[in-house]
Parts: sequence; structure tokens; C-alpha cells
Amino acid sequence: MLDLYLPIIVVIGIAFAFAIGSVVFSRLVGVKRYSELKMSPYECGVPPIGNANERFSVKFYLVAVAFIVFDVEVAFLYPWAIMFKQLGWYGAITMGIFIFVLVIGFIYDWKKGALEWE
Amino acid sequence: MSDMLVTLALILGKLLFIFGVVLFMAAYLVLAERKILGRMQLRYGPNRVGPFGLMQPLADVIKLLTKEDFVPARADKWLFLIAPGITAVTALLVFAVIPFGSPLEIFGRQVPLVVVDLNIGVLYFLGVSSMAVYGVVLGGWASNSKYSLLGGVRGLSQMVSYELSLGLSLVPVIMMARSFSLTDIVMAQQSIPFVLLNPVAFGVFFICVLAESNRIPFDLPEAENELVGGFHTEYSGMRFGLFFVGEYINMVVLGSLVTVFFLGGWNGPWLPPLLWFLFKVLAVCAMFIWIRASMPRLRYDQLMNLGWKILLPLSLVNILVTGAVLLGLG
Amino acid sequence: MENLVQEAIQNVNLHAVMPSLILSVAGMALLLVAVFSPRGKTAHIAWLSIASLIVAGIVTIMGWNDTQYGFAGSVQLDNFAAFFSMICIIAAGLAILMSDEYLKRENFPVGEYYPLILITTAGAMWMVSGTDLITIFLGLEVLSVSLYILAGFFRDQVRCNEAGLKYFFLGAFSTGFLLYGMALLYGVSGTTKVYDIAAYIQANPDTTTNVMFVAGGLLMLTGFFFKIAAAPFHMWTPDVYQGAPTPITAFMSAGPKAAAFAALIRVTFICLEGMQDHLTTVFWVLAVLTMTVGNLIALNQKDLKRMLAYSSIAHAGYAMVGLVAWNEIGSAGILFYMLVYTFMNMGAFAILILIGRSGEENLTLDGVTGLGYKKPMLGIAFSIFLFALMGLPPTAGFTGKFYIFAGAINSGYIWLAVLGVLNSAVSLYYYLRIMIFMYFKEPQEDYAWVKIYPATAVSIVISVIGVLYLGIVPGSIMQLARMAGF
Repeated sequence: MLDLYLPIIVVIGIAFAFAIGSVVFSRLVGVKRYSELKMSPYECGVPPIGNANERFSVKFYLVAVAFIVFDVEVAFLYPWAIMFKQLGWYGAITMGIFIFVLVIGFIYDWKKGALEWE
Repeated sequence: MSDMLVTLALILGKLLFIFGVVLFMAAYLVLAERKILGRMQLRYGPNRVGPFGLMQPLADVIKLLTKEDFVPARADKWLFLIAPGITAVTALLVFAVIPFGSPLEIFGRQVPLVVVDLNIGVLYFLGVSSMAVYGVVLGGWASNSKYSLLGGVRGLSQMVSYELSLGLSLVPVIMMARSFSLTDIVMAQQSIPFVLLNPVAFGVFFICVLAESNRIPFDLPEAENELVGGFHTEYSGMRFGLFFVGEYINMVVLGSLVTVFFLGGWNGPWLPPLLWFLFKVLAVCAMFIWIRASMPRLRYDQLMNLGWKILLPLSLVNILVTGAVLLGLG
Repeated sequence: MENLVQEAIQNVNLHAVMPSLILSVAGMALLLVAVFSPRGKTAHIAWLSIASLIVAGIVTIMGWNDTQYGFAGSVQLDNFAAFFSMICIIAAGLAILMSDEYLKRENFPVGEYYPLILITTAGAMWMVSGTDLITIFLGLEVLSVSLYILAGFFRDQVRCNEAGLKYFFLGAFSTGFLLYGMALLYGVSGTTKVYDIAAYIQANPDTTTNVMFVAGGLLMLTGFFFKIAAAPFHMWTPDVYQGAPTPITAFMSAGPKAAAFAALIRVTFICLEGMQDHLTTVFWVLAVLTMTVGNLIALNQKDLKRMLAYSSIAHAGYAMVGLVAWNEIGSAGILFYMLVYTFMNMGAFAILILIGRSGEENLTLDGVTGLGYKKPMLGIAFSIFLFALMGLPPTAGFTGKFYIFAGAINSGYIWLAVLGVLNSAVSLYYYLRIMIFMYFKEPQEDYAWVKIYPATAVSIVISVIGVLYLGIVPGSIMQLARMAGF
């Protein structure tokens, strides 16, 4: 069981080594020149106006919430997908009902305009 | 003891081989993309460094490595530093489960040409690849720049939206292969690849893959003519390089996944399996580049409409139809 | 594998969840109806909701004395569950009746309101019929999440937002306690089914001194105490009850509270039976504390909704006396009392809806000055509900308290009954003060804005009938409660 995941750990190690190593290396090799203007955020060459962390549209939050709901749905579909032969029509119809319930929420979202971006 | 050492050596050997190949491919994909794009736009593309510009990737690497590594004022320093790493690391991690050839016979032992054949490979891929969104959103958020923030938030919404359809379009594949293991999925396509059995799932998956990799026509998080560079506006030097490399590694990874899930993996007549696999991956990548050359960028509302109102219902219906057909056929 | 599937299919038994199934399907269907209806048109949704409640009620009544087990012993639709389900259905029905015109007056006629009430009720039913801790938790969450939305339903009113947010935070917090407690119980006994936990304790008597088990039980009870607003876990109640839309306040203090009591009774009387000696101590301390705190603070309230909120805390305290009794009369008394409380409390809130103005003005004591002369029918109905809340005969408040205290006396807690009666005496003061304002003060206004909405009037009439019927001839319903009790 564990030795199945041993290579994954090795991969994680190598991937991290690659990411950290390249950045550290460039930090050692690269130049360092401080300048006030260089440090300021880029706004097409003019001095930045206002705070960068502004509020953004609530639509993005709605997408996030809808995502959570449907992501859970996807997670529930996988176990069924792998056993669906054994579960037969009973499982298929049950999952159909399950999907249908979520589709109701989906239609509701749609009708309410949660998916509209003008 | 020696048995274990051999196993470990094999793992390390395979890993180094894969990483070498992947990084090499990523580097030359950049060049290939620039060349092909150039030709398609009646330009030459890079041709100064080395013959036909073949040393261009090396020059790029040297340039990125020697640039200053700096953090803009009032940026969230740690998140800013971590974000590019996440993109690169997640892209590399997925490679661990991709089978790139049929098992080989080396020194009298069966060596599967995959780093590790996880029995939950599909779940591993979905789990790891969904981490990639953190690179985009954290990078955008931590930069303390309006363009970055917009790019990051857009990227977040886009990637999570398409992740749903991506996940759902894999359900029919699992139903047909009846396994989460990528090797088993390739085995199941020995006679006929899934792209022919379930073209709808393939279409949805392919579109979602494009969107997940933030490539044209889905490159809104980094739309250069409105957001400068999107989530990586403030990045420079090797940190930008990591984003960049991550993106191209991702291209190779996603190309391999399309190959594994739908194009039959290493299966193919006459040629050796490894070559078939490479050929298919390169074909998918070429497809990506071709699309980039010929498609305009979507508007954000079109992007969301496509993801939520077309792909999501389509993939749900596809699951039910696939299930019904498979059960009906017994 | 095939056998497992067959077994799973046989274990489902949809009859065990039929009433809640009807309500949740109706809730989902009405959600779609609501979203496809033109803006501001909600009356048809309200009537359809009531129709589905009636169907669910009929199905529940038809299942009386016919215990159904479902989902491999996770759900048990017995008389106990049926009785509490009926309380929830009645509470939901009354709340919906008094809602439609109210929503129009508050300028927020949004159709999702009714499906949310139906889904809340369905969650309450899972809670009362659950014999698996997970099922109970699931029901509690369905109920709570819908209620969080309903409590903050008027999203443009600051008060209402405050109520929704406070309820959400404290509710989520208390759910954490509950779940943690359940996890510990599972850790000790290795099962989440209440009967299996009981069997485990039977087999291993020393479990009751196991620190993990005791801690788990107490944490779980804490979660329930939050839900029934027992002191000292009552802090959220006044603000939430005051800020929430009035029909929702009424519903919250009746239906979901009854459901929480049901789950509490089932879990304590079955799972934690071995801890009876210790738990009765906990219960009586909390019961005394709850009724005293509720009544004493209510004395000082000017706002009627807030006063009723504290009164509802006090009433939870009276009902907990039935838990202390830990006998058949006590638990039957709780069932009966929750039914009585549903009628009298919802009736009182319905009156508040009628005398209030848009934006919830005029709900202070001064606002009812001389109401008894200007609107005599309302005055009489309000007086009946207030008498019932005080616990005076011939209303149902008296019989309800009588059975509860009788149960306590039977178990030897005479002093607890005395404390309860003393508390009722304290409560006389603030209930009577409302009546003094209604009848013994010169009216300063003519209450021209008070319109008798027909549906709300129907709910008041039903409540009056309920209060008087249960007060004068309680025998038959009490008989049912005893059949349902533990």
C-alpha cells in the first residue's frame, strides 16, 4: 500500500527541488538594483491610482458557490461510474434522480441569473 | 534488499527520464509554438540563435535565470513567492500516473512504463490538477496590482467552471473502462479508442483541457491586450519562468491525458508503443498551437455561457446516455 | 456484490421517509414554480405548499401505529416520530398561512420563502425519525441551513441581516459541538446507530465512566441545547427571534424546536440511558436555569417580539422538566406540551403580525395600548393566547404544564414542580402587563392600519381552537401522546 505511493513522494520531492532550485539559483545569479519606480505596480506607466485589492463583482462568488455544489456531485458520480455494471438499472435510476435533484438547482441558478454575465 | 534497490533505481531512472523528456519537450514546445505561429502569420519566428533558432530555448533559460528576482512593493511576499511554484509543481506531479508505453522486459522483470500505476489514477489527476488554480489565483491576488487581481479572479472562475465539465466528461470513460487506473483505461482501448465510442465526451474534455490550461481561445486570465499579463503582470525573471514552464509542461501533460483517455494511449499498429504515444501527444499539442493561431479570444460572458450552459448540461446528458446505452447492451 | 445490492435495495423502504419525501419533492418543485413565476406573485406557491403539507400530514396520520424501518435502521417512523412530524407540519402550515400577506406588506414577496419552509420541515422530520446519529445530523443541517436563510430573509433590513448572520454563526458553532460529540460516541462504540450504541453500553457497562463517552455525550447534548435555546446556550435567541420575519420567528420557536426536542429525547433515552443519574442532574439544573433566566429577563422587555423570545426560552425550560422526569408521563408530557406550545405561540405571533406595520414598527408594549377596545376580536384572541402562555385554565397551557409537572412529581421531583409553578407565577407579570396595556389604558390611536388578513385570521382561529380544545378536552390527544412517548 505505502510503497505504491513511494514514487509519488519522490516525484513531489523532485518537483519541489526543481521549483525551489531554479528560483534560488536565479536569485544567486541575478542582479539586484533597487528603484522606487520599479517597485510600484505596473499600471501602463502612470503612477498607480488607489488600492489594488479592490472589490470585484459578486458574480465570481456565485460561480464559486455553484462550483462547490456541482463538484460534490462529480465526486458522487465517480464511485457509481466504477461500479455501475454491478449496480445495474437500479443504480442508474438512482443516480439519475440524484442528477435530477442537482439539475433543479442548476435550473434555479440559471433562471435566477446567477450564470449571466452582461 | 537488492530487490528493493533495483525497484528504487528503476523508479528514479524512470522519473529522471520522464522529467528530462518533459522539460525538453516543454522547452521545445515554446520554440515550436513560436515557429508555427510565425509561419501561420507569414513571419519567420525565432531563427537567430543557432541553426533554425534551435538554441533559442537555451538562450531563454539563461536570460530568465540571470534576471533580477524581485517582489513589488506591498505585495503579499510569501504568497507571491509560492504561487509560481504551485503551477510548476502541480503540472509535474500529474506526470507520475501517466503510462507512456506498454510494459517492458528489462533484466527479466516486468517494468511498467509509468512511474506509478495508481489504482485511483483518475482521482489523483483531478485532485492534483485542481490545485493548479491556486497558482493563478494566489499569484494574481498577491501581486498588489489591479491587472493581476482581475486576471487571478477571472482565472479562478474560469478554471473551476471548466473543472466541472472536465470531471464529468471523464465519468463515461470510467464507465467504459471500469477502472480508475490510467493503465487499465489504455488497455481498455486496445481495439477501439474511446474517441470513436464517445465523441461527445472527447469534445467536452478537449475544450475543458484548453480552458484549464488558459490557452487561446480561453486565455482571459492573461489577456494581454486588456490585462497586460493578467495574473503574472508583476512577475519577472525565473518566477515568471516557472509560470511559463508550468504552462508548457501543462500542455504536454494535458496532451498526454487526452491521449490516454481518448486516443488509445500507446496502442497502435506497426510502430513501437512508445513512439505511438509520443506521436499522439505531439499531435494534440500541434492541435493546441493550431487553435491558438486560428481562434479569436472569447468574451468573458461567452466563456461562462459555454462552460455552464452548454458543456455542463451536455456532459450530464452524456453520462446518462452512456449509462443507458452500456446497460442496454448488457 | 449482487447480494449486497439486493440487500441495499431491500433496506431502503421509502415508506419510512414518505412524509418528508413528499415535502422535499414538493419543496424542489415549488422552487422551480417560484423561479418561473412573475415577480411578486407568491399566493399560488403558498397554497400549493399548504396542499403538500396536508398531503404529508395525511400520510403521517395514516402511518400511525404502523412503525416503518428504513435505510438499514437509520430511519424509524414510529408513533413518536409521527407525533413530532405532525407538530412540525402544523407549525409550518400555520406559518405559511400567516406569511403571504405579511410578505406583501413588508414589500418582499419572494417565492423561495415557501419551499424553504417545506424543506425545513422535511429536515425536521428526518431529525425526529432518525435512529442514526448521522441521519439526525443530516436532518438538523437541512433544517438549520434553510432556517439561516429564512431568518435573514429580508435582505434589505439591517435587523433581519443581523438575525440571519447571528443565527448562522452560532448555529454553525453549535453544530460543531454536536458533530464532535457524535464523533466521540462513534469512536467509543464503533457505531452511529442509536440502538447499537445502547446495545454496546448494555454489553460494556463500564462505558458510562469512559471519559471519551461522557465527553461525547455532553458535547452532543450541548449541540441540542443550543438548538432548543436552553440557558446558558440561549444567547442567540432574543436577537434572532426579534430580527427574523415574524412568521419565521413563530415557526422557529415551534417546529424546529420540537424537532430538536425529539432528537434530544431519542438520543438521551436510548443511547445515554446508562448515564441517567448524571444526566437528570444536568437536566434539572438546566431546566431551572432556563425557565428562570427566560422569565426574569422577559420581565424587563418592552419589545413584544423580544418578550416572546424570552418567553419561548422559559417554555423550553418547562418542557425540559419532562426530560428530568425521565418516565413515560414526562416524555408524553413533552410531546403534548410542544403541540400546545405550537398553537399558543404561533397564535400570539400571528396577532403580532396583524398589529404590526410595515418595517416591523409598533411592536412595543405601547403599540397595543387600548387595542382591546378598538379591535375587540383581536384583543380576545390575544388574551386567550396569553392566558395559555401563562398556563391558566381552561386553556391548553394549563393542561400542558400539568402533565409535565405531574411527570416530575411521579419521579419524585416535587421541588422541581414547585419551582416550575413559581416560575409560571413570575411569568404572569409580563404576560398580564400586555393585557393591562390592552384593556386598562386609554387608546391613543384608532388602529386604522390594522387589517384583518383572511389567511392570517384563519391561522389565528385554528390556533384558538387548538388551544381551547387541548385545554378543555385534552384526553384524546394526551392518549396519543402516551402512545407515542417513550
